[in-house]
Amino acid sequence: MIKIDNIKKTFHDKKRGTIPAVDGVSLEAYPGEIFGLLGPNGAGKTTLLRIMATILAPTSGSAEIGGYDIVRDPEKVRAQIGYLSGSAGLYERLTGRQVLHYFASLYGLKSVQATQRINGLIEELDMGSYVDGRCDQFSTGQKQRVSIARAVIHDPPVLFFDEPTNGLDLIAARTVVRYIRERRAAGKCVVFSTHIMSEVEALCDRIAIIYEGKVAAIGTMTELRERTGAQVFEDVFLRIIGLEEN
Amino acid sequence: MWKVIFRKEFAEVFGDSRTRFNVVIGPLLFTPLLLALIGSLSRSQAKEAQKQQVQIGVVGLKNAASVNAELNGSKAKGITFVEVSSTAEAEQKIRSRQLSAALIIASDAEEKMKSEESAPLMVVDDPGSESSQQGADRLREYLRLRGDQIAARRLQSKGIPTQTTQPFLLTDREMTGSGRGMLMLTAFLPYVLSISAIMGGLMAATNTVAGEKERGTLETLLVTPVSRQDIAIGKFLTVTATALISGTLSLIGMLWPFYVKLPMFAWMASQGISFKPAAIIALILVQIPLAVFGAGMLLALSTYAKNQREMQTYTVPVLLLGTVGALLSMLLKADSPLIWSVVPITNAALVLKQALQGIVDLPFITIACLTSLLYAVAAVMLAAHLFRRESVLTRF
Repeated sequence: MIKIDNIKKTFHDKKRGTIPAVDGVSLEAYPGEIFGLLGPNGAGKTTLLRIMATILAPTSGSAEIGGYDIVRDPEKVRAQIGYLSGSAGLYERLTGRQVLHYFASLYGLKSVQATQRINGLIEELDMGSYVDGRCDQFSTGQKQRVSIARAVIHDPPVLFFDEPTNGLDLIAARTVVRYIRERRAAGKCVVFSTHIMSEVEALCDRIAIIYEGKVAAIGTMTELRERTGAQVFEDVFLRIIGLEEN
Repeated sequence: MWKVIFRKEFAEVFGDSRTRFNVVIGPLLFTPLLLALIGSLSRSQAKEAQKQQVQIGVVGLKNAASVNAELNGSKAKGITFVEVSSTAEAEQKIRSRQLSAALIIASDAEEKMKSEESAPLMVVDDPGSESSQQGADRLREYLRLRGDQIAARRLQSKGIPTQTTQPFLLTDREMTGSGRGMLMLTAFLPYVLSISAIMGGLMAATNTVAGEKERGTLETLLVTPVSRQDIAIGKFLTVTATALISGTLSLIGMLWPFYVKLPMFAWMASQGISFKPAAIIALILVQIPLAVFGAGMLLALSTYAKNQREMQTYTVPVLLLGTVGALLSMLLKADSPLIWSVVPITNAALVLKQALQGIVDLPFITIACLTSLLYAVAAVMLAAHLFRRESVLTRF
């Protein structure tokens, strides 16, 4: 479903020169799994996700999503994916329902199909009590649920979640986590990026630890524990990135 | 897909009360009301100035009995003469605003009056003071009237009819469809329309890219299967349409006072206006490239800016240049040299000015329209180029 081969991305800064944000990342993710990208802030997780979502073009390397090349067929790739980041906003002057209808149109859903899908998502994400209000009046949790619905309006086979629980309270974060699990159960390929260890432990089937733009380790939770000899996941992480001795 | 984006952007832009105020209510109501206010203020000030007594100092009055006799009755005309000992004292009193102006009677004035020659009189005023200028003008007008009366008496005493010195009997007749209103339109309309075309789309442009970056919605749009080109077209058309609506409503706002006969607009609208077909063609020919040029420039800035505050910083010099360009049209003559036909904004405003004055300068109009179109295309290309640049578009 997702196949990334030696992807690199460099940025140029007048003061700092060339910055390698993603440095030769290769990985694969499959339908029915939650694949975690774990790393500290600035490790390159968001850049990698943005490359996969075709917002950014890679400097070198290749990647395929749902059989489409991210450079040659970016529009077809985008039709295959749902993308949600913690910083994603909503059109504040529109109602939640208007936002969903707008994105349904952008994904090419017919009016009847869009209405059915939106009603289904409103029920699924429990948005009925507020979805007809303006987005600028929603709480953070309510906004995030509308954002999730926006990201999955076209029922994509691949989902990218970039720190989706950032700034959410416990209840709102649980809704997001529950929804991600349900997507896995529905056979979707979910890529979940975070720096929160507990979320990784609770959700992910396989994990890639990203550090300084590189994949420092990749495997299941058990494989990573065996490799480092640590039981607490924080220790696993620190040992892999070389900040703590075995 | 650009239609979906355009429809949503357009609805969102006009869903904002600030846009409704700036693009709809402002040009339709506030511009004409401002004109009415300015008109009534200037008229009431002029009336007030006429009623007010002005203090005029007179030097040399004691030795000029004949001149003194002519100054009697001046109070009825709103002028009070105050005797002053010297020119220096008169100037000092004008500077300290005790006097509006002064009249200096020459020492040989009495002798000249008696011998029916021209008596030398000098009016002293302060060119830096508006009230001094007004006082001096009223003094000159008063002296001209009294001078005419003296001349008439002198002619009568010699048995010569006064018409002898008035070979022409002048009367005035003002044409309809012109007058103050047309004069005002010719001066202001090119400026207002040029500014509207450039600034009308400002809020839409700010909101549509820089605002979306700031609110985190541009990223959500970029991950949809819609092509970058369709996104850019949808946004560009929104800004252009807003600028055109702003220009059109500004035009309506300037014109409706001439057709809806309200007393507050009588001062400018009583003589009506007349629009030649050439003026209407020029309005259309010039407004569209101007709006496209403005939309392209603003969209380029909005795409480059990281957020709305940055956008505001970038737009200040552009709006300043735009305003200067439009203001130049008020200072320049309609039939200005051909070189002005290549100056952006000013050229469009001058074409409008020419059309309103009934001037058809084909080389000027052709070059102005072509260069305006060229600038519009260049601005759109710049916006499109920036929209394609990943490092600019993804400055979230």
